[in-house]
Amino acid sequence: MKRWLKRAAITIIVLLIVGFGAFLYFIPPFFVSSPETFSKPQNDAAPGVSDIADPAQRAIAERGRYLVVTGGCIGCHQTPTPQGPDYARYLAGGAQFHNREGTFVTRNLTPDKTTGLARRSDEEVLRVLRSGVMPDGRVTSYRLMPWGSYTNWTDEDRHAVLVYLRHLKPIVHQIPDPSPPAPLADPLAVETVYAGKDYGTAAK
Amino acid sequence: MSANFAKGDSPLFGILVGAAMVVLTIATTHTSTQSGATATVAGSAAHGKVVYDRHCVECHGKNGKGDGPASPLLTPRPRDFTSGKYKIRTTETSNVPTDEDLIRSVSQGLYGSAMPGWAGLLSDTDIRDVVAYLETMTPRFVNEPPTRVTPGAAIPESPESVSRGRLVYEKLQCRSCHGVDGRGTAAIATDFEDDWKQPLRAADLTEPWTFHGGATARDVYFRFRTGMSGTPMPSFAGTATDAEMWDLANYVLSLARKPVWSMTAPEVADLYAREAAEARRDPVKRGRYLVDTHLCAICHSPIDENGRIVDGMYMAGGQLIRVVPFGDYPTANLTSDKETGLGNWTDDQLKQAITRGILRDGTRLPPYPMDWGAFSAMTPDDLNAVIAYLRTIPAVSNKVPPPARPFLPMYLWGKFKMLILGSDPPVVIYPGNVGASGGR
Repeated sequence: MKRWLKRAAITIIVLLIVGFGAFLYFIPPFFVSSPETFSKPQNDAAPGVSDIADPAQRAIAERGRYLVVTGGCIGCHQTPTPQGPDYARYLAGGAQFHNREGTFVTRNLTPDKTTGLARRSDEEVLRVLRSGVMPDGRVTSYRLMPWGSYTNWTDEDRHAVLVYLRHLKPIVHQIPDPSPPAPLADPLAVETVYAGKDYGTAAK
Repeated sequence: MSANFAKGDSPLFGILVGAAMVVLTIATTHTSTQSGATATVAGSAAHGKVVYDRHCVECHGKNGKGDGPASPLLTPRPRDFTSGKYKIRTTETSNVPTDEDLIRSVSQGLYGSAMPGWAGLLSDTDIRDVVAYLETMTPRFVNEPPTRVTPGAAIPESPESVSRGRLVYEKLQCRSCHGVDGRGTAAIATDFEDDWKQPLRAADLTEPWTFHGGATARDVYFRFRTGMSGTPMPSFAGTATDAEMWDLANYVLSLARKPVWSMTAPEVADLYAREAAEARRDPVKRGRYLVDTHLCAICHSPIDENGRIVDGMYMAGGQLIRVVPFGDYPTANLTSDKETGLGNWTDDQLKQAITRGILRDGTRLPPYPMDWGAFSAMTPDDLNAVIAYLRTIPAVSNKVPPPARPFLPMYLWGKFKMLILGSDPPVVIYPGNVGASGGR
């Protein structure tokens, strides 16, 4: 009887350890779930444009939506949580980048008046996409904000992106300004990206 | 004006430079009324270097050779200031530009390129000083002072001038590069290179908002009159009369179409339908546009310590990206090389990798940093176009190791830290090339 109990206890402990190991191994299930488990919510999160009354603006915004979705803006301008991007806060920013020039948090691209792109003129937004030059004249590395690719968009496609960004749902999400360089996780690296938690400040 | 000074220099230095500026400005204005053209260094090159190092290096490079970190991605490439060859000028054929030409290009930017207008971001003094610094990068400004072109009387735009200009367009064979309609249709020459062997497009004359030097009749006139140094666009001084060039300018501007931001809904629909039809006719061109705008080369090419793509290794893969704790994901060689690139991949295998992150041996990629989730939203036509273009990228042999998962206990420990202890594991990107051609 005593022996039986002992065996049962050992079995349970072994099962728990194996189960915990399997949990660690398979979560998040990148390598076992269908790829659409990850891609579909990401792409569906981009708000539609059917509510735009003006038909020309609607067609242009639809093009902009396609460019924003396939261009992968959400990859960096997501609001990260430990469970993955918070798609309800689409393009509200908050992932963190380190390079030798400083620490940068991805910006809030929603048209919020105090923390988002509503503060920026059309010219200022287009200049970042075309030239990587921020409103204060700072030049951003093409590897942080990949303007080296977006500069190859035609002016008309960049305009479509702008129209779509202006149409997003405004979200209050304060992003800190760039700060001086912090030691990189690995000094040999050119850059390091942290996207497991939100480095911005949400509305209180 | 003082705000920008305050960033790098003491206010006293700013005041001194400012005072020197006033003196020099008066001096230049004085001489230019006498000689008509100046290549004098009118600003403080020393302060110009400070401005340059802060704002210009990312594209034009530390030494002004047009080889900054971002430069390999840009079409056209950033100017190489050490050559003294400038496109946008009001000076005679193959002369260097005037100070005013350069100040204008820096201030308003070059439309249709990555060069932004710096007016409003930099003070007038900063711009003048940076121009003074640029002029020290080649001895040509001192040794070969430019001769400024005096344009003949402008011919105002009129139907008569436009139809005369049309004949000039034929006479000067503009169609052989710009096409019968100004947008390349039936052009004889289509693939151009500049003096630095970089690919170049003939300007689409129906999109004046992309004309680098501006789109007034006077701007367009000067491009014919002076030529665009370093490019195949010649000067027509001597081939055409001054009046013919003014007529031609009026004709070129008459080709303009409406930009999308001024269009009505049916016009937008027409434009997008036309673009879709052109994409179906020339999928390689469309694919190139998609690849150039979708970041592919930024990761799928080896980079040096400054983050610049290594010359001759465009899309050859080999950048090491460590996704903690999931493993090492060296970027794949996307050139058409049969052994080490995509040459032996089928279209279906490529589509699985691009839109689902599944490699042909069944290896699964995490949803970042390879953005297959975003690419899965591409239309079938666009996806086919991307593949058509990838097949045309010149083969570069660079055998890249496959993705590698970490040692199991380390992997589980990494996951434990991430899932239980709540650490935020980084994605780390290394310079160099882990492929077979060239070590890190």
